[in-house]
Amino acid sequence: MKNKTSNNLLWLSSIRFLLRHPWHFVLSILGVALGVSVVVSIDLSNNSAKKAFALSTEAVTGKATHQIMGAAENLDENVYRKLRIEGKIRKSAPVVKGYGRISGMNKTFQILGVDPLAETPFRDFASQQSGIELDDFITGEKTGLVAQHVADQLQLSAGDTMTVSVGGRTQLIRLSGVIKAGNDRSRRALENVLLVDVSTAQQMFNMQGQLSRIDLILPDKGEQAMLSRINRLLPQGTSITRSDSRSETVAQMSRAFEFNLQALSMLALLVGMFLIYNTMTFSVVQRRQLIGRLRALGTTKNEILTIILKEALLIGFLGTVLGIIAGIFMAQGLVKLVTQSINDLYFVLSVQELSIGLFPVAKAALLGIGATIIAAFWPAREASQADVSTVLRRSSNESKISRRLLPLAGFGLIIGLLGGAVLLIPNGGIAAGYVSLLFMIVGFSLMIPLIIVWMAMVFRPLMGKLNGIIGKMSVRGVVTELSRTSVAIAALVVAVAATVGVGVMVDSFRGTVVSWLEAQLQADVYVQPPSAVSRKADAKLEPKLVELLKETEDVSRWHTVRSVDVQTNYGTDQLVAIEQGVEAQETYQLKASSENFWQQYMVKDIVMISEAYAYRNNVSLGDSLLITTDRGRQSFTIEAINFDYASDIGTITMNRDIYNQYFDDRAISGLALYAVDGINVDQLVERLRNKTQGKQEVFIRSNKGLREASIAIFDRTFTVTIVLRMLAIIVAFIGILSALMALQLERSRELAVLRANGMTPGQLWNYVISQTGIMGVMAGILSVPLGILMAYILVYVINLRSFGWTLQFMIDPQVLLQAVGLAIVAALLAGLYPSRKMAQANPADALRND
Amino acid sequence: MAQNAHIQLKDLSKSYKEGDKSRSVLDELNLSVDEGEMIVLLGRSGSGKSTLLNLVSGIDKPDFGEVNIGGTDISDMNEKDRTLFRRKHIGFVFQSFNLIPTLTALENVLLPLKLKGESNEGITDKAQQYLDQVELGDRGDSYPDRLSGGEQQRVAIARALAHEPMLILADEPTGNLDYETGRTILDMLNNLVRKNGRTMIIATHDRDICQIADRVVELKGGQLHKVEHSAAVE
Repeated sequence: MKNKTSNNLLWLSSIRFLLRHPWHFVLSILGVALGVSVVVSIDLSNNSAKKAFALSTEAVTGKATHQIMGAAENLDENVYRKLRIEGKIRKSAPVVKGYGRISGMNKTFQILGVDPLAETPFRDFASQQSGIELDDFITGEKTGLVAQHVADQLQLSAGDTMTVSVGGRTQLIRLSGVIKAGNDRSRRALENVLLVDVSTAQQMFNMQGQLSRIDLILPDKGEQAMLSRINRLLPQGTSITRSDSRSETVAQMSRAFEFNLQALSMLALLVGMFLIYNTMTFSVVQRRQLIGRLRALGTTKNEILTIILKEALLIGFLGTVLGIIAGIFMAQGLVKLVTQSINDLYFVLSVQELSIGLFPVAKAALLGIGATIIAAFWPAREASQADVSTVLRRSSNESKISRRLLPLAGFGLIIGLLGGAVLLIPNGGIAAGYVSLLFMIVGFSLMIPLIIVWMAMVFRPLMGKLNGIIGKMSVRGVVTELSRTSVAIAALVVAVAATVGVGVMVDSFRGTVVSWLEAQLQADVYVQPPSAVSRKADAKLEPKLVELLKETEDVSRWHTVRSVDVQTNYGTDQLVAIEQGVEAQETYQLKASSENFWQQYMVKDIVMISEAYAYRNNVSLGDSLLITTDRGRQSFTIEAINFDYASDIGTITMNRDIYNQYFDDRAISGLALYAVDGINVDQLVERLRNKTQGKQEVFIRSNKGLREASIAIFDRTFTVTIVLRMLAIIVAFIGILSALMALQLERSRELAVLRANGMTPGQLWNYVISQTGIMGVMAGILSVPLGILMAYILVYVINLRSFGWTLQFMIDPQVLLQAVGLAIVAALLAGLYPSRKMAQANPADALRND
Repeated sequence: MAQNAHIQLKDLSKSYKEGDKSRSVLDELNLSVDEGEMIVLLGRSGSGKSTLLNLVSGIDKPDFGEVNIGGTDISDMNEKDRTLFRRKHIGFVFQSFNLIPTLTALENVLLPLKLKGESNEGITDKAQQYLDQVELGDRGDSYPDRLSGGEQQRVAIARALAHEPMLILADEPTGNLDYETGRTILDMLNNLVRKNGRTMIIATHDRDICQIADRVVELKGGQLHKVEHSAAVE
């Protein structure tokens, strides 16, 4: 009770202090809000994508407990017949699954081919009970059902025809009705489903006699006995897995991508934390005397600490609430970018709406308030620990920091080196990368005051020449008020460096991909069917079309590629079978290989894996990979590791001849054609395109065209990163503005003295702008080395530990110039308001004692 | 030296580091003050007056020696206990007033009462009474920046007295005021301290202030020297 009443008065004093410095108060709330909003928006987008994925998986998997899959992509439909008749497994249903686009709808649909008669135990919406007109559905004619909402959008009703494009082939499907979902949840999940009969799906995907999988419901009791009974009926190469493990595998694909997005959003929060630290330190520095007075009157250190932390809590709370609201708005836009990236990279996903979960919001609240308290703790502690007798003297703090410059820098160096040491921890993972990054940022920040003093020595004569005495004064002012200016500059450096770090990382990534594509794309023309996932070639070229294109005049040679998903001892992986012989070595850049790999890969059971695959599964040369083939589980030795930036999940590559020995699949996913020397490739492309008129719709692209298309996809997948960088820039900009503006506004007394001594408003304006400008220049220059250091860790540690890619470090001078420019422009803008205010103010008011 | 003195400073020493050298400010200083006594501590700038007040109030700790206030030796206490002791038993009047700018005049006077932990009941009236005593009863709602220097020092006096401390320490209380205002403030301080039966040590370099003192001591070379009343006033 005792403390409560006295604290009320102290709290009142605190609140009034904040309200008397509204700019400062609002900008610190904004700092927290921006950090939190980035985290919230990324989290909500990721969560919505995840939820949409779970929802659609749940809906199409139905109540199936197990799934039977083939070795490559498909399995023979006889397996189903055998299972049903010989095995008497009643609760089984055949499924043919694929993707396509309905003309008039700008999204990819999952096409689900089912047998309504077998569906009753599995999917309510696909069974006879849901009112599917069997006679109409299984007529032999292509008919299908879509959600009511889709039918409305397409303005179609039963009996109308819709045009569906699958793997480059256009098909006409008659709408036989609408999907009747049991509840709202499945209704939403089914908005992207086109339900057709199994045989219709087989025709659509050119999969006659084949199925994508067989769904099963096995009772808990006697599951093992059932499994072994089923296994006996299955041919070699087919496998039975639990349904949930399968969807888990798919979900895992995008985990590193999501993690990296989250990590980037945490970087924004870290920058936000520095801004909070800056604001709180500043707020404490401003109040040193006030704190000294309270301490002299008998306020204890703990009471001071509590009050300042309470202030931080208030700022944190207001900033977090604002951040969560802003984050929800931002997420509406970001969810589209995240979904687009997932669609380009991993699997088809369509997110219709943002799902606002309690967890991301609670997490953001904890992070926002927690980060504010952590950031405010040190300044608050320093304020409370200050010696009352020195606090009561005005200049003591400045003399204190000047004495501390060297120890502070030394301590910073040690922290930075510790950060470096963290990277040496074996199996440190991504978290260690971020811890190291944090250590280096803190370490560098501690060195900043000393560097500022050094820089001032260089700037002072320079500014003296440029701007006379005012120029010299402006540089000197930065040093005399080092305890305030150094914190502000450090915050700016961190904020701007974050933008440099992310900028250099994206440039390095892009540069590496561009040069890799140049080496990878050796042929002159590439032919690919459109695929649902941009970076995967999962659709098939029709054999007749391949023959036709190969025989085109001026095509000297060719090779084909087959890409399938297979089951390995590491889960579901992408296998690429290439037809090239030894000449493949011109295309593939190897990171490591055994001797004579290219000679042996045509005859032996060996494979080449991408470095992302090697990293992800922790495998290296000489290790064995067990792949489920149509001849059963086969062991393949890893004899080469190649650079590949097309997929972060990684790929296994083998020779087509070896593939054909183990898989019954003869399909082709892509065709590469080489033109006769001296032939105009664009004209050849034109001729090839003319040849495919009226046949399967395929992408025929020149080497240059494919490279451009690939880079466009790359850029699209990085849009979300670039948006985050833009957000970091905004955080930095507001931070710079807030720190410098507050600093100048607090100098009103000093500026009033200058005015009283005869400085004109113009000269005052010049003085303030020069000083903020100098601080901007210092921050800009210092942000470059820290930014490059951050980029180095992002590229060589975090990226490597997330995806396993080796990237070339590339620094675009434009990114660096942009950073320095950002710091200077923001610093100059920050000087405008205070200089105007001070130039207009009556110096007498500011000179009055408080 | 009185054995049961209200305030007793015994062999008090304090030195500060200046670069590599150590500068002794107080050197085995002794002082006894009786309850209700008013001591004027004379000394030139830099003689160590503020240091001595800081040691007596527990803001700072002596290198050696004892600071005994009302039977409690505060020199052995830790920082927190000294702070808690200060807020209960010491009142301060500073040269630069040191009011809390974010609290009104009345709230400034209320603050030591609340810090001391007095129950809420009646404390506002009590604070108001002290404000009335310094003739600022009608300025309770004003913030310090709306008050003149003299008015701010009057609020500071009310604040120093409000929680009825054992000892009031005044560091150059008239130093920032003009002569006339200074005299008024001094009279007010003298009257109120005596009326409330408080003990007070006033540190100053202004010999005029000696007129109100029961005893005058001068700090020279780190030691206290008794100054005859008449000599001090001259």
